[in-house]
Amino acid sequence: MLARGLAKHFRDVRAVDGVDFAVAPNECVGFLGPNGAGKTTLMRLIYSALRKTAGELSVFGLTPMQQRKQINAGVGVVFQENNLDEDLNAAECLLIHALYCGLSFRTARRRAAELLEWMALSPKARSTIRTLSGGMVRRLMIARALLHSPRLLILDEPTTGLDPQVRHTIWAALRELKRQGMTILLTTHYMEEAQQLSDRVLIMDRGRIILSGPPNELIGQHLERYVLQASGLTEVPAATDGIRHERAGDADCFYSNAEPLLQALYDRLPTRSAVLRHANLEDVFLKFTGRGLHE
Amino acid sequence: MNESSVPPGELCAPLPLRTGRCWSLFGVWYRHVRVYRKTLLANATPPVLESLYFFAAVAIGLGSYLLKTGFDGLPYVTYVASGVLAGSAMMCAVFETTYGTFVRLVYQRSYDAMLGTHLRISEMFVGEMLFCATKGAVFSTIVLLITTLCGARPTIWCLLVPLIGFVTGYLWAAVGLVVTSYVKTINNFSFFTTGIITPVFYFSGTFFPVRGHYAWLDVVAMLVPLTPSIELSRALFKASFTPVTGIALVLLLGYTALFHWLALRRMTARVLR
Ligand SMILES: Nc1ncnc2c1ncn2[C@@H]1O[C@H](COP(=O)(O)OP(=O)(O)OP(=O)(O)O)[C@@H](O)[C@H]1O
Ligand SMILES: [Mg+2]
Repeated sequence: MLARGLAKHFRDVRAVDGVDFAVAPNECVGFLGPNGAGKTTLMRLIYSALRKTAGELSVFGLTPMQQRKQINAGVGVVFQENNLDEDLNAAECLLIHALYCGLSFRTARRRAAELLEWMALSPKARSTIRTLSGGMVRRLMIARALLHSPRLLILDEPTTGLDPQVRHTIWAALRELKRQGMTILLTTHYMEEAQQLSDRVLIMDRGRIILSGPPNELIGQHLERYVLQASGLTEVPAATDGIRHERAGDADCFYSNAEPLLQALYDRLPTRSAVLRHANLEDVFLKFTGRGLHE
Repeated sequence: MNESSVPPGELCAPLPLRTGRCWSLFGVWYRHVRVYRKTLLANATPPVLESLYFFAAVAIGLGSYLLKTGFDGLPYVTYVASGVLAGSAMMCAVFETTYGTFVRLVYQRSYDAMLGTHLRISEMFVGEMLFCATKGAVFSTIVLLITTLCGARPTIWCLLVPLIGFVTGYLWAAVGLVVTSYVKTINNFSFFTTGIITPVFYFSGTFFPVRGHYAWLDVVAMLVPLTPSIELSRALFKASFTPVTGIALVLLLGYTALFHWLALRRMTARVLR
């Protein structure tokens, strides 16, 4: 997949404002960005649910919109919003969607049963959608996206609002799919999710890609190794060599490559609400997208 | 998570896909049939009963007092039966693609889900209109059978009634989609149903001849998109075909083509936003 100067404007909103990126087969790419960054819009351009305003995009070497049918035959989408057919039960939902995807009745039934089983939803096969919990609905959404064995899986915030158990289950499933050769595009607000699953992350802000690279490299390149995070400090300790200090609201962050320095600082802090940890993707994310609200 | 149920390597194995138009349309059509079948009694009873109440009240009740002679060379009971069966095809189709489609479009976001598949936007909506056409064929046939039991006199030509019901259903499904593509909130539909559908049902010759009073009214009446269906249905009951029947046929097919085109154009714009 390849995008060059790809843009989508809604009247005066520049939802996607000239992005360039490429995705290799069997790669898992995470798209991060604050609310309204344009992640969903970008995904919709990829599966031809929107017309682009400018730029170029090719998927499997084909052109979205013009060759929508060929592209989407190889694409599975887990939408940000749950849009399961509420007039049907779980098994029927999969059956009907499999028909839409072009499977025969027989294959559709087999795939639906297999995927229900894989997502541990078999006992709920005959339940109507409304009686399913949030986690079950989300797993069903993922099962639905996999019915026709897509080559490319698009996941728009697959685990938002789910409990840790479901999240970890879904991550395990996605890792299995990746092992089996699937290409995955993932948007998320959970840095841990991006770090766990993605070979590479693209950080978006206001329709542009502002940073990209493998999660660990980004952290190494842009931040010190350790962070001491504290909140509610009444007086900030004097600056020390080898420690960088940042303040946002009532929160203070101290960065350093030397853990003992931060440990010493930690011991001197009056508050116990401080934590000393490795720098992570969220620190990079906040550094580049800022700490203020975006909308 | 039950990893053992699907052997590794099976989940992503390529599957043969039927991406042709027929299978796509069938999938969409079948979805509606399946949903409809679940709630068959609840769904189908009101519209069938409603048209039969009309029939009973107007044709059998009122008709037996006032109109022993009938209209158009048909006994009044038969006259009304031939009109009501086309009207019922219109009603069932237009309700499906207004309220039903709106709920799927805005609340359930079903079309968004379909956009993630290889289905063409035209296939998504033509499949739906074909379902409405099927419903139109079935409803008009049911009305034909019941009114026959109640004293209407069909001819052998009435075997073509399902066909008229089918085209009428398709036409009004398309009209419904065009309306839905403009509607912002579900309450707006009541303007359409009481402002257009109800008068069309009463004033396109269902219960009394609209034509033959004033010349201008003849033209207007013929231009109401339900009139051609009723004209054709009546021709079947009379087993007599005149140039007017031909005009009606051309008009019916013309309207259907026009609204089919409009519906797809409007819904494509609405779905792609
Ligand atoms: N159909 C639309 N019409 C008008 N504006 C839109 C439309 N879809 C999205 N936008 C605008 O485009 C911008 C990007 O939206 P988008 O949904 O792509 O963001 P996102 O990164 O997915 O956000 P979130 O994390 O909240 O899901 C937003 O400002 C949004 O208001
Ligand atoms: Mg989004």
